[in-house]
Amino acid sequence: MTLDFVEPVVFGVLAAGVIVAGAAVVLINRITAAALLMAFTFLCMAGMFVLLGAETIAAFQVLIYVGAITVLILYGVMFTPQADRPYALFFQKQTPLAGVVVAAAAIPVLLLSFSFVGAVPKPGGDDLPALATSVFVDFAFPFEVASVLLLAAMVGAIVLVKRDEDSEARR
Amino acid sequence: MPVGPFGLDPLVWLPIRLLIAVGLALFLILNGALLQIYLERKIQAAMQDRIGPYHVGPFGLLQTFADAIKLIAKEDVRARLTDPYFFIAAPALVFTPMLASWAVLPFAHDVVGADLNIGLLYLTTLGSMTVLGIVIAGWASNNKYAIVGGLRSAGQLISYEVPQILALVSVVLVVGSLSMVDITRSQAGPLVNVLVLPFSFALYFISALAETNRTPFDLPEAESELVAGWLTEYSGMRWGTMLALSEYGEVTVVCSIMTTLWFGGWQGPGVDVAPLLGVLWFTLKVYAFVLIFMWIRATLPRMRIDQLMSFCWKGLIPLALLNILLVAVLLMAFPDTRIPVAIASWALLLGFVAGVPYVQRRRLATLRARARAGQVPAHAAKAG
Repeated sequence: MTLDFVEPVVFGVLAAGVIVAGAAVVLINRITAAALLMAFTFLCMAGMFVLLGAETIAAFQVLIYVGAITVLILYGVMFTPQADRPYALFFQKQTPLAGVVVAAAAIPVLLLSFSFVGAVPKPGGDDLPALATSVFVDFAFPFEVASVLLLAAMVGAIVLVKRDEDSEARR
Repeated sequence: MPVGPFGLDPLVWLPIRLLIAVGLALFLILNGALLQIYLERKIQAAMQDRIGPYHVGPFGLLQTFADAIKLIAKEDVRARLTDPYFFIAAPALVFTPMLASWAVLPFAHDVVGADLNIGLLYLTTLGSMTVLGIVIAGWASNNKYAIVGGLRSAGQLISYEVPQILALVSVVLVVGSLSMVDITRSQAGPLVNVLVLPFSFALYFISALAETNRTPFDLPEAESELVAGWLTEYSGMRWGTMLALSEYGEVTVVCSIMTTLWFGGWQGPGVDVAPLLGVLWFTLKVYAFVLIFMWIRATLPRMRIDQLMSFCWKGLIPLALLNILLVAVLLMAFPDTRIPVAIASWALLLGFVAGVPYVQRRRLATLRARARAGQVPAHAAKAG
């Protein structure tokens, strides 16, 4: 008896988690529950990264998406006045159109994924050196460009919320 | 066929090992919380010239046991308008990441749940997940004090995560590994990392106080302004799980990180002869930090929320970035010796300690000048 059967079972559980929670995020009416389920989807995705032997990416997935982005979304939800809506949102009434769009995107992806034959990834691998090399050596320039973009966004956000000294003093 | 320890099949051994690790972590968390609550009460009492608990058992030692039994036996109260699912889920969301972080703490040579090669990253990741539970607890309570506490907590934890992780990065740069076991092994001699990187230790210590909601950063549960913050609607064992177990467990985890990264973890005299002696050294070092946390709690007043935020974003984060820059450049320039890094780090630490009063005095002077000019009422200037 070997441990080979564990991996597909774990993958199945994680995949079911991603799909069910992802569908629930779109279909559910309670916005806070949707945010939490989105965090759950991210967690299941992190589990898949671990299965692929990319623990570092899994850790960053949880750190950034679950620990920061979901919390910021919840933050935004709690500061906005509307409560959970008992009725469906406007864009949730377009099910047939959405079905067509999803099918158009999903069918090519499905076909492609079944035709994909790549090297079997080594689970439990040490992906950190490879990741560091690709980010800081091979793709250093795109990485820096993305950093500059984020910096510009950050400066923009600071300028938007900055109050001048006089109004600050009057508060 | 691979054979695991004790001649067991790995398929049998791995689940048993998992159960042992989780059971041991739970055992340590439960007993650690009991011990730390007792210590906290006794030490605060000693510092404030009181006696502290003394009725139940010798020296009041059984007081926390009595309290724990009371908490477990308490009626499970839930207000009618709280959110049924999230209110129950929140304590688990706070507790689980803390429990999971115990898996990578190296208690002694080979006494570690799992030697992950990204152990440090794993710990910071789990630390960042706690905030989700706190925000959900605040929101599900349907109580304005709880939601203010939850939102404060979200802002505080997300902000202080940044200098915390940046402080860890400088240690990783020096050691060259993210594994907790490797970091411990690299500090075999008396030259522990705190002598090389005292400034990143100071940054981490301050951020760790904020991450665990301890004084002077205990704004999410500021009892004098917010009843009990995000814990307002909780009682009984739900409150016990979130506050007692999770907070003290989290304190133990950050103290273990400090011990491992800057103070050599389980390294100590006699470890080469008897490896299990490492557990003793590790525990002693961790509890030394726990006691410092308690000392701070008994001494310092609470910060205001705007002071908290500006201290993090205008003070700690730029300094942490400067620290990383200096450490990285000096390590690249002098790959063979750590002395330049140590000199730079000590200089930064001295500059930080000396600079804080200067900055504070200048801020107060600005506020007073404004008050004299009649722009703000005088009481605001005094409070600033």
